[in-house]
Amino acid sequence: MDQNNSLPPYAQGLASPQGAMTPGIPIFSPMMPYGTGLTPQPIQNTNSLSILEEQQRQQQQQQQQQQQQQQQQQQQQQQQAVAAAAVQQSTSQQATQGTSGQAPQLFHSQTLTTAPLPGTTPLYPSPMTPMTPITPATPASESSGIVPQLQNIVSTVNLGCKLDLKTIALRARNAEYNPKRFAAVIMRIREPRTTALIFSSGKMVCTGAKSEEQSRLAARKYARVVQKLGFPAKFLDFKIQNMVGSCDVKFPIRLEGLVLTHQQFSSYEPELFPGLIYRMIKPRIVLLIFVSGKVVLTGAKVRAEIYEAFENIYPILKGFRKTT
Amino acid sequence: MAYQLYRNTALGNSLQVILLQFDKAMNSALAQTVRNRVNFRSFLNTYRSCDYLWSFVLNGVEFREVTELNKADEAKIVACDDKNIGSNTTE
Repeated sequence: MDQNNSLPPYAQGLASPQGAMTPGIPIFSPMMPYGTGLTPQPIQNTNSLSILEEQQRQQQQQQQQQQQQQQQQQQQQQQQAVAAAAVQQSTSQQATQGTSGQAPQLFHSQTLTTAPLPGTTPLYPSPMTPMTPITPATPASESSGIVPQLQNIVSTVNLGCKLDLKTIALRARNAEYNPKRFAAVIMRIREPRTTALIFSSGKMVCTGAKSEEQSRLAARKYARVVQKLGFPAKFLDFKIQNMVGSCDVKFPIRLEGLVLTHQQFSSYEPELFPGLIYRMIKPRIVLLIFVSGKVVLTGAKVRAEIYEAFENIYPILKGFRKTT
Repeated sequence: MAYQLYRNTALGNSLQVILLQFDKAMNSALAQTVRNRVNFRSFLNTYRSCDYLWSFVLNGVEFREVTELNKADEAKIVACDDKNIGSNTTE
């Protein structure tokens, strides 16, 4: 018998294969948590096994989303581990149960691609795909389990007024101004550790932050410094222009092989630069891939592009793993 | 305020000439004659650079010379950028 104690009361009757198949027990209950996405289905399409797992996974996802507000990053790793475990669980249970109607691993792999990305907090649990058959995805398409870390974010903002750079350089702290060398004041703050280039037109570039929120906060701090010096500074058109991330695939890579098969995307000149420059088309991201297995991703306007690019390149890199 | 009215007198003019000579002598002495080396390391509170003039405010600084050690809770360094680099400090 399955472990009935882990199930909510409305699922108790569904634990056994016979329980779900009897018409008397409702599959869809109004007591189900909001947004489970389980739509009422005719009974012949249900599979007690898949509902069980779905509900378990829903509970796990809901618990994780509560933690997500505290620790986003750890939560993403947990989710991926759970999804990977659920995939393995489903495939093992598939094997033991034999014929079981639908193929649960189909919407497991679907779920993996639609799982909430780190950095975004979904308000509701992600809706499960309906139980109708979908075009089969390869069962082994697990996520890499590696999350690229953001290293640098470049953003621009318009302060909306002309600035006197000499006044700013003379009165503000931690500012440099060399008009003959560069026509902007270079100012730095310690928290978040960033550098800003402030131009006389009122436009400003903020670099060095490690997250989108930090970049915005830093830009606001610079705007406040300028405002305190007496200029009517505003905060117009804040836009993140570039995001850089890096990660480690933890195995060495055969760059020569990669440049041979992906000629139209890669350029590799070991005498010029030791890394392979891979220009991915979708999303439009440039990756620097090194023999050690370290990867640098740049050119993104949003965090999701970095994650998507890494998920795209990871299986390719696995194929060029160095075996010696 | 005392009037600078009497600078344009014989005495005043010769004193001004001396001041200019003093400036030149100080610059050349610091550039050529003085060869002491002082090391210092501390926390940088603020820095500023404008018109080739650097100013720093250091906290908890130790000026180390071969012969002696000088400590200060706060030190301001004003440094002029010239082909002959010179600096002066106040505590």
